[in-house]
Amino acid sequence: MLTVCPYFHVHQPYRVKKYRVFDIGNDNEYFNDASETDLNNRKIIEKVAEKSYRPMNAVLQELLDTHPEFKFSLSFSGTVLDQFEAYAPDVLESFQKLVASGRVEILADTYHHSLAFFYSVPEFERQVAQHAKRIHELFGYTPKVFRNTELSYRNDLAKWCEDNGYIGIMAEGWDPVLGWRSPNYVYNPQGCSKIKVLLKNYKLSDDVAFRFGNQAWESFPLSAETYTDWIHAHHGDGQTINLFMDYETFGEHQWEDTGIFNFMRTLPHLLTEHPDTTFKTATETALSYDAVGEIDVPDVMTWADTDRDLTAWTGNDIQKDAIAAIYGIERDVMATEDPEIIETWRKLQTSDHFYYMCTKWSEDGDVHAYFSPYESPYDAYVAFMNALSDLQLRVQHAVAEKEKRRQEVASSESTLTFWERLRIWWHGLFKRFRSLFTFS
Amino acid sequence: MKVLTFGWDFPPHTTGGLGMACQGITRELAQSGVEVIFVLPKSQAVDGHSRFIFADVEKMVRTREVPSAMVPYTGSQTMIDVYDEYGRHHLYSRTLLQEVHAYAHKAAEIAMEEEFDLIHAHDWTSYLAGVAAKIATGKPLILHVHATAFDQAAGENVDPQVYEIEKESFAVADKVVAVSQFTKDIVTQKYDVNPDKVTVVHNGIDTQEVKRHEPTLQELRAQGKKIVLYHGRITVQKGVDYFVQAAQKVVSYDPNVVFVISGKGDMTGQIMQQVGALGLSQHVLFAGALWYEERDQMYQSVDLVVMPSVSEPFGLVPLEAIQHGAPSLISKQSGVAEVITHVLKVDFWDVEEMANKILAALRYPVMHGQLVKEGQKESAQLSWKGVARKVLDLYRHLIEWVT
Repeated sequence: MLTVCPYFHVHQPYRVKKYRVFDIGNDNEYFNDASETDLNNRKIIEKVAEKSYRPMNAVLQELLDTHPEFKFSLSFSGTVLDQFEAYAPDVLESFQKLVASGRVEILADTYHHSLAFFYSVPEFERQVAQHAKRIHELFGYTPKVFRNTELSYRNDLAKWCEDNGYIGIMAEGWDPVLGWRSPNYVYNPQGCSKIKVLLKNYKLSDDVAFRFGNQAWESFPLSAETYTDWIHAHHGDGQTINLFMDYETFGEHQWEDTGIFNFMRTLPHLLTEHPDTTFKTATETALSYDAVGEIDVPDVMTWADTDRDLTAWTGNDIQKDAIAAIYGIERDVMATEDPEIIETWRKLQTSDHFYYMCTKWSEDGDVHAYFSPYESPYDAYVAFMNALSDLQLRVQHAVAEKEKRRQEVASSESTLTFWERLRIWWHGLFKRFRSLFTFS
Repeated sequence: MKVLTFGWDFPPHTTGGLGMACQGITRELAQSGVEVIFVLPKSQAVDGHSRFIFADVEKMVRTREVPSAMVPYTGSQTMIDVYDEYGRHHLYSRTLLQEVHAYAHKAAEIAMEEEFDLIHAHDWTSYLAGVAAKIATGKPLILHVHATAFDQAAGENVDPQVYEIEKESFAVADKVVAVSQFTKDIVTQKYDVNPDKVTVVHNGIDTQEVKRHEPTLQELRAQGKKIVLYHGRITVQKGVDYFVQAAQKVVSYDPNVVFVISGKGDMTGQIMQQVGALGLSQHVLFAGALWYEERDQMYQSVDLVVMPSVSEPFGLVPLEAIQHGAPSLISKQSGVAEVITHVLKVDFWDVEEMANKILAALRYPVMHGQLVKEGQKESAQLSWKGVARKVLDLYRHLIEWVT
């Protein structure tokens, strides 16, 4: 028997507008670009909703309705959910409807699509908790399988997931890690005993995600029949074909005129014509198979670029500088206890900001250019650092204010008599337990 | 292969990028075995031909001088002071246009005497010479566009006589080389030249060991001032007025920045007045035209170089600057912007953004460092050798196509 485990990742960042040096200290809004450029977050959501989310959700709904065996998994960043709510609530509703079928699983993630695990585990944990809360609010669902930003993965992340009750984690099925082994089996992460790691079959995934509409590709145009044959060829040589890709593959990266929607419309039917092929969600896949071996990833592995590491985000000096600057202010930011400041700080942690600063002009360079709303990596850096400078001012200000208030309270308290202090203490206690007193 | 080349300016008596380009291309072509006959109009300005040498390829390059009195970068009606060999003023001065025609007349004679396979003419002042040589001999003609009348005029009031020479010469030429896509677009759109006839060959730069000089402006540096440099002619084409407007915005945000303007040109007085009117005299220094060691010394002493050109066919300044360790902010309206990525870019008219990026470059040392480090790697790839290779390909194609 062969499992097909499709998983689509839904994400949009809050892009930083052209925030200028002059704006530092004068403008607290970093994400409210209203121009016709791709820095306008509302415009992007509306555009991608039209090209991808709405038509693809219609296809997925149709498939769920007509193919009772069809299942898949989704993951959402919190930043995309917030933007759906604000700019395209109907899209959010259509996702909720998909999930309500009971055959669509949602994965755990960081709320802000960040690389926090590699820079601050406590912050990472707060973002994962925030994400879980939001998913439960919107979908009534508690994720059991974890995927980290850009499928970034390391042994200690898998261990963290196991310790925190997840039954599975996703990773890239990258040859240097696998060696002679196949990504089409379920493995245990190194140092873990219970949790399973699901590996992306990048060849078959990228045939759809990256190559589908490429006219220079030898297999262009790819028919659903051919693709089905490629998957069926793995019967007897694997447990599961994990097809992991960005949701925006459908309609945004591969435009409608490539035939991507029709391809998806016919694929489930063709796949299940073979009696031994079934669809499973990530949880079902993890539970259905015993691990055949151990995966050891001591250094960060991602699903990006030909390097499959973090160099797309932290490869050059300006990226390292920006990421060090954002995590360097964690203590002060948290000390403000100001929800708006903390949330803004987290929006700036979204990995996309650092991706836009990438200067690897190798074979991946054009990919970075395609996905960047800025004209140059340096423009991205300048906008980001200027906005961060403003945030730092706000943080300093908020911390100073808090300290001032604390001192005022302290000094006023010190001049009080014993009886006055007793009265204040009693009043505070009374307030805290008022609900009990007024119960009857 | 023998090429009859027409130019009008050659190092060391050069006032800009054109002479440097002629030198770089010619030297590398000679290195690849092309015999170059370089024709220059004779004038007092280029009289010092004893310094016109290629130590390594001297034998391959012959120079031939035509009596002329041309100086570059002036309109067709500009009167030119002409002196004879004893320094006496000629009674009747001629206009540049007359010089261009005289040059063409001589060019036909030279072409009849020489043996060669094709003709290569640099810049509009040599186009007629190239055309005359083609008419006289029937050999294929390449015109090399280093600038157009539209660049000099920054878009308005194009000199009609220059335009006419350019347009008619392009029509006669077998091939046109443009130093950037930016320039190719002008050639095809404003002169109605078939795009297939125009090849883009970006300029290069000599990659040599940079000689370190004593830093200049030491006093300002000691005061902790940041220094931003404009280097180039002070003309409408170069956008110096936008630079001054940006300077005002920068200074009102950070008074610790000093702007240096190195160069001269017909707009110098206007720019000085603008600086005075904006109350920037304390922040803008006029250094005069700096060349060679003084220029390099300046590049090595500043924090940022700005090239705000309104219309720049190529633009050598950022490549020179980076060799000396200074990163650049360049206008998107420049050809060089097509081949370098590790610079800051801005629309010349977007003064606000120009000021923002100047401040950012001074504010974020890590970015400054990366612009220098990566920019130097990038500029090392842009050699004249590569340029000559493309030109040679073009020669071969053309000869094949003709014969």
